[in-house]
Amino acid sequence: MSVKEITAEHIEELEVLAAKYPVRRSALLPMLHYVQSVQGMVSPKGIQTCATVLDLTPAEVAAVATFYTMFKRFPMGKHHIGVCINTLCALLGGDDLWKELTETLGIGHDETTSDSMFTIERIECQAACTVAPVMTVNWEFMDSMDPAKLKELIEKLKTGAPVQSTRGTLITSISDSERLLAGFNDGKVNDSPDADDSMLAGLRVAKERNMTAPIGKGVR
Amino acid sequence: MTLTSDNKATNTQELITATIDGIQMQVPKGTLIIRAAEKMGTFVPRFCDHPSLAPVAACRMCLVEIEGMPKPQPSCAIPLTEGMVVKTQMTSKVAEDAQAGVMEFLLINHPLDCPVCDKGGECPLQNQAMTAGRTESRFEIEKRTFPKPLELSTEILLDRERCVECARCTRFSEEIAGDPFIELLERGAKQQVGIATDEPFNSYFSGNTVQICPVGALTSSAYRFRSRPFDLVSVKTTCEHCAAGCSLRTDYRRETVMRRLAWEDPEVNEDWNCDKGRFAFGYLKTNRLTQPKVRNLDGNQIDALWPDAVDIAAAGLANAQGKVAVLLGGRLTLEDAYAYSKFARVALGTNNIDFRNRDHSEEEQQFLGSAVAGNHNSVTYKELENAQNVILVSFEPEEESPIIFLRLRKAMQKGNLKVTAIAPYLSKGLEKLNAEVVATKPGEEGKVLSGIDIVENSIILIGERAAAIPGLLSVALEVSNKTQSKISWIPRRAGERGALEAGALPALLPGARPVADASARSEVAKVWGVSNSKIPSEPGLDHSQIIKAAINGELKALIIAGLDVLDAPDPKLFSEAINAVDFVITIGVQENSLTRYANVSLPVAPVTEKSGTFINWEGRPRPFGKAIGSTNALTDARVLSMIAESMDLDFGLQIIEDLRMELSELGIWNGSKLEKPQFESKEIVDFKNDNVILSTWHQLLDEGAMQVGEEHLAGTQKSSVAYLSEETAKQNNLTTGDLVTVLNTRGSITLPLEIIEMVNKVIWIPFNSKDSKVKQSLGAKEGDIMLIEKGKV
Repeated sequence: MSVKEITAEHIEELEVLAAKYPVRRSALLPMLHYVQSVQGMVSPKGIQTCATVLDLTPAEVAAVATFYTMFKRFPMGKHHIGVCINTLCALLGGDDLWKELTETLGIGHDETTSDSMFTIERIECQAACTVAPVMTVNWEFMDSMDPAKLKELIEKLKTGAPVQSTRGTLITSISDSERLLAGFNDGKVNDSPDADDSMLAGLRVAKERNMTAPIGKGVR
Repeated sequence: MTLTSDNKATNTQELITATIDGIQMQVPKGTLIIRAAEKMGTFVPRFCDHPSLAPVAACRMCLVEIEGMPKPQPSCAIPLTEGMVVKTQMTSKVAEDAQAGVMEFLLINHPLDCPVCDKGGECPLQNQAMTAGRTESRFEIEKRTFPKPLELSTEILLDRERCVECARCTRFSEEIAGDPFIELLERGAKQQVGIATDEPFNSYFSGNTVQICPVGALTSSAYRFRSRPFDLVSVKTTCEHCAAGCSLRTDYRRETVMRRLAWEDPEVNEDWNCDKGRFAFGYLKTNRLTQPKVRNLDGNQIDALWPDAVDIAAAGLANAQGKVAVLLGGRLTLEDAYAYSKFARVALGTNNIDFRNRDHSEEEQQFLGSAVAGNHNSVTYKELENAQNVILVSFEPEEESPIIFLRLRKAMQKGNLKVTAIAPYLSKGLEKLNAEVVATKPGEEGKVLSGIDIVENSIILIGERAAAIPGLLSVALEVSNKTQSKISWIPRRAGERGALEAGALPALLPGARPVADASARSEVAKVWGVSNSKIPSEPGLDHSQIIKAAINGELKALIIAGLDVLDAPDPKLFSEAINAVDFVITIGVQENSLTRYANVSLPVAPVTEKSGTFINWEGRPRPFGKAIGSTNALTDARVLSMIAESMDLDFGLQIIEDLRMELSELGIWNGSKLEKPQFESKEIVDFKNDNVILSTWHQLLDEGAMQVGEEHLAGTQKSSVAYLSEETAKQNNLTTGDLVTVLNTRGSITLPLEIIEMVNKVIWIPFNSKDSKVKQSLGAKEGDIMLIEKGKV
């Protein structure tokens, strides 16, 4: 897959991001997401471009781009699929999901299918343990997954049939998600609820029983 | 290592009382625990800590126990506070165990390749593993490895598996050099130092990272696998490359220099030096002259014995009967320059002597004679560090005096200093100084300098290039007087200030004594043991006048010493001059294009093979000792003594002690100095569209004669490009990426064009870089008017 070039229009949008912050270099993370939305990865050229826009050295940008696992230095497919492999999700079926996913697509962690449709990743806790096991598609939640649902999901994505996050948002592509992460609003902020009943159950019970957090012994 | 005098702590006088290992002490508020422990004689092991870098607590090696803290703390990052009770590994089992634990972790992935590692024998990790580690590792599985070495630049190599991620190198590059071209990449167990793709670590100061690396992770291509530290003999020397006067450690083995390091000198170079000073010594082995040569009756140069060569030289000079001149190259030691100065007067009876093998002027001589020579109140590095305002004129610190650059950058970072540069554009180097540029065409610096607001007690640093601009040095002195600002002249070459003090100029005797001053002449004549009349009372010819006189047949013989014709103000005229005179003596270390014109060619010792003194730009004497003795190479002074002896003169400068004695006998001159220069500036005439003014200076790493034989270093040179402003480029139908040709009647230079923000109607090209040799190709100087056109591929 050839990586898309960064053009003058893209640089204009990078400038928009840089101008949002009192100190321009604060825009680096959003800018790298933006580069990823354009290129499907953070290429050396993308690093160079961010460096030029922010008046940093490419090495300084590379230090950031290589630190965060969300920035990929290989071309991603159209969709990015994550499976939480942390303890709770893993025990509740995450490991099975990962096995199913790798076997179905025939690729491993941080790899892309040859048709450039999918990139898969073992991801860390997404703070949604109440709905474990959790997956993400283009960083939108797929709650309470099982291997059958996963199979169906893959089929739909392959054929281009509409897929919604279990929380409501329509799934399009990793490129669109990266653009949103960069800070360009896609107008879909209200498509998913903030939290559903299962997530708030604990809080409800605590309130009913007048529970409070214990006061710590305090460290000197 | 330095106990930094600029540490915030020592500036404030407030003292606090604290206890380390049961010893109560008073230290300035803000003193780090590790420094205080050092002062009382306890060395807390460390890797990331470096007194010239900000604390980072990255390696965790320096853990100590602090009463009241729940766990061991890094002593390199915590200042002592009132009443604090600290226990180091000397008195605390907790601290000792913590350090041993950290060491065990650091060694998990560290290879056991000490026997082949360059650092082995001088390695803080090796040493501290012995003092603060476990005798045996409990780690039994396979160690992580990396392909090795990773080439950060052609000069700097990285073996990642040896790295302990102390970040000294990355912090140095960012904090000190301002070149963050290396960074810690990746995360966690994969964390490693690296560069961005296609962006090598081409910093002028990159070699310092090798020196401060506390393990063998960073090595230089030049020294890698060349020697073991315990086989080396170290000598303290002074760098011969520029006028900074860096103290160096020259390490040699079997009479060969293996490497050079920065020798810590808080007053001058602190802990650092530049890559030219560190790596460029291959010239010592390249094209060395070892044998005197004389021209026989057939016109061929043949090897000769010293006594014969000396006799022939003496006879040739005697034949010339005073129609002689001495041209020097600006790289001589004070002592050798002094010997030439004395030889010209005593043996040749002439004041025709000049050390300025570069653009120069009578105005400059008066400037040097009136405001620089013998000035014992000149600016120092320390003053630069504490200055509020520094104005740069015809001077690009990073390229022309890198240690001044580092000191200015340090001052800027402390927040005190504002740098104003009178320059055609804001260079990368000036950007790193946060400098404000007053965009100025070459030729208009004087006008601009007298026009800008200068607060009192500023410091003006003026480069040697100012000599090419008529009137500039005169204006600079006026401005300095008017604003009560000190002015300091920054020559490029290491020997220039010394040669000035030695009187290697047509109107000056040693110690700033004007030749036209009768009492100055008699003081000198007395020390020299000659009659007053021996020293001519009329100033002699300067470099350009000597060249002209030689071409006109007014001179019969030339002594040319330590000089490369390609550096000359006009190499073409220089060659004509050599051809025009009957008798040429060349004295030098290396064979160059001049040697073959010599009637007598005499080899002399390079800096490593003699002792001597360089006077740096501050006027600070930087004496150094001989590193290598076995070559028996002679100093210039010794060679001149031999020629004088052959001329039946008692010259008396056989050994360095003679020279130093005589220099001290001459003492300080309290009489009149040369007149202050009062030269008019030249108005820039109106010129055509395709005409531009030439701006040019040396890049630190370029095609200089003393950088030969260092391929790895040469690989870190900046690429040669020409700069134009957008408007000027447009007027000439040029855009970025085009080739642009700069030409005059002499020749042309073609370079890729880069359009930058700069003053209009000016083109900047490198002075002596690959594909851009201004003297050789154009014979031009800064301020000359040139033609430009689109270059052809």
